[in-house]
Amino acid sequence: MTQDIPARPDMIGGVSTPPLAILPRPARLFAARADRFAHLAEGSRLAPYLRFMADLTRAQADLAGSLPPVAPLSPDRVALARASRMPPIDRHAVLDDPGLAATLDALIAAARAIAMPAPARLALDALADAAPEDRRWLVANVLDDAIPADSVAPHLFVAAAVQLHLARLAATLDSGDLVAIRTGVCPACGGKPAASVVTGVMGAEGARYAACAGCQTLWNEVRVKCLSCGSTKGIAFQSVDDGTEGAQIKAETCDACDTWVKQMDQHKNPSLDPIADDVASLGLDALMRGGRWRRGGFDPFLTGY
Amino acid sequence: MNIDLSRRSFLRLAGAGVAATSLGALGFGEAEAAELAHVRDFKLTATTETRNTCPYCSVACGIIIYARPDDTGKRRVVHIEGDADHPTNRGTLCPKGAALKDFVNAPTRLTQPMIRKPGAAAFEPIAWDDALDRIARAIKDDRDANFLATNEAGVPVNRWTTMGFLAASATTNETAWATYKVVRSMGVVGFDNQARV
Repeated sequence: MTQDIPARPDMIGGVSTPPLAILPRPARLFAARADRFAHLAEGSRLAPYLRFMADLTRAQADLAGSLPPVAPLSPDRVALARASRMPPIDRHAVLDDPGLAATLDALIAAARAIAMPAPARLALDALADAAPEDRRWLVANVLDDAIPADSVAPHLFVAAAVQLHLARLAATLDSGDLVAIRTGVCPACGGKPAASVVTGVMGAEGARYAACAGCQTLWNEVRVKCLSCGSTKGIAFQSVDDGTEGAQIKAETCDACDTWVKQMDQHKNPSLDPIADDVASLGLDALMRGGRWRRGGFDPFLTGY
Repeated sequence: MNIDLSRRSFLRLAGAGVAATSLGALGFGEAEAAELAHVRDFKLTATTETRNTCPYCSVACGIIIYARPDDTGKRRVVHIEGDADHPTNRGTLCPKGAALKDFVNAPTRLTQPMIRKPGAAAFEPIAWDDALDRIARAIKDDRDANFLATNEAGVPVNRWTTMGFLAASATTNETAWATYKVVRSMGVVGFDNQARV
């Protein structure tokens, strides 16, 4: 009995403070997401797309385990970011990171083995042959969380590579080094959330985590608060009325800035994945298009909603 | 929808140039159309989640109240849970707090002032003005009869021990302060801002 167990008075009575951020474990995360996409595809009207996404996510998972390790950020950079309340991952620096270029090459190569319709294949081939400045343009758009409406297909493949690279970079961080920046801003990479999840994990039951669309970090956000503008007034939740009381995916709407972001009840269904289930719940997006709010969550796999 | 002119050749090779959703651009338009056709007949239902404070005790746990319109369109409380963001309880609730929904929706819940007159077996409704007038009269009479300005030794004490006052635990600091000032200034000593549990 010589092991030194630190005192955790906050665990007494089970009332603990939820951690600010949960950093991704890329290989595990993407593998679980690929399984989720495959599961969601069963019996779904969106099955062809969900199966394609399952394959693409599986490629992300495989590469997460096989690519050479990414260089961790310098401790100085992390300390500076912490002192100035900025995200440690600098997306401008990532834009010209050779590691990201290599990841994109590897992802394009892996994606070629996936079955996909002709338009997707055309975009992938064009991406494979694209000039460096065209690729840089695509990567910059994805890193800006802004996909041009007229060229969604090539950006989707690039987004898969950017997700993989940012997630691997985020995995090298220590979550204790991160600081909350602002509502709706990822503390690891400064990205936008794709959706948010109400978690059921021990020590954080019922707490809400926003899921970064880029680096896949989950970060704690106060519930019933707009992830786009931070308002706590005029928040409501819209869900598809299927006659039951148990909607697990709801649209959190904000009347202050007229946006909405999906919130998923992971504490009721731990299988919910903020990206896979975001795509699979496209029906909610379709119904929300008829309302006054516009989508605030960023998901490169669900552009146009 | 602005096509980037410097990217024209790449975009043409990528089959781009028309605004489309992810599914449409990648060639999954048929699956997307099937899903859109399926959901067209569904409607959205709005739930609100509102923060509040549990009214039971001075721990003042944070709660989130879920409300949704019922069949008649009237909004009803459908669920209450601990507020995970509240620093006091971090989402937890005691058994009484966990049963708050039944407290809110109880058919026996007091929704108006009631009076049981001397000798009567049951309570009956009374208007707010009448109720407050009666309470004020009773308080005044009791204070006039029982207020002690000095004790046996002649020391000023200004106390009124025959009336007690119980205020709510879910009040703000400001309300509690104002209540304290009003009640104490009348000499009431039996006073609390919460129900002890």
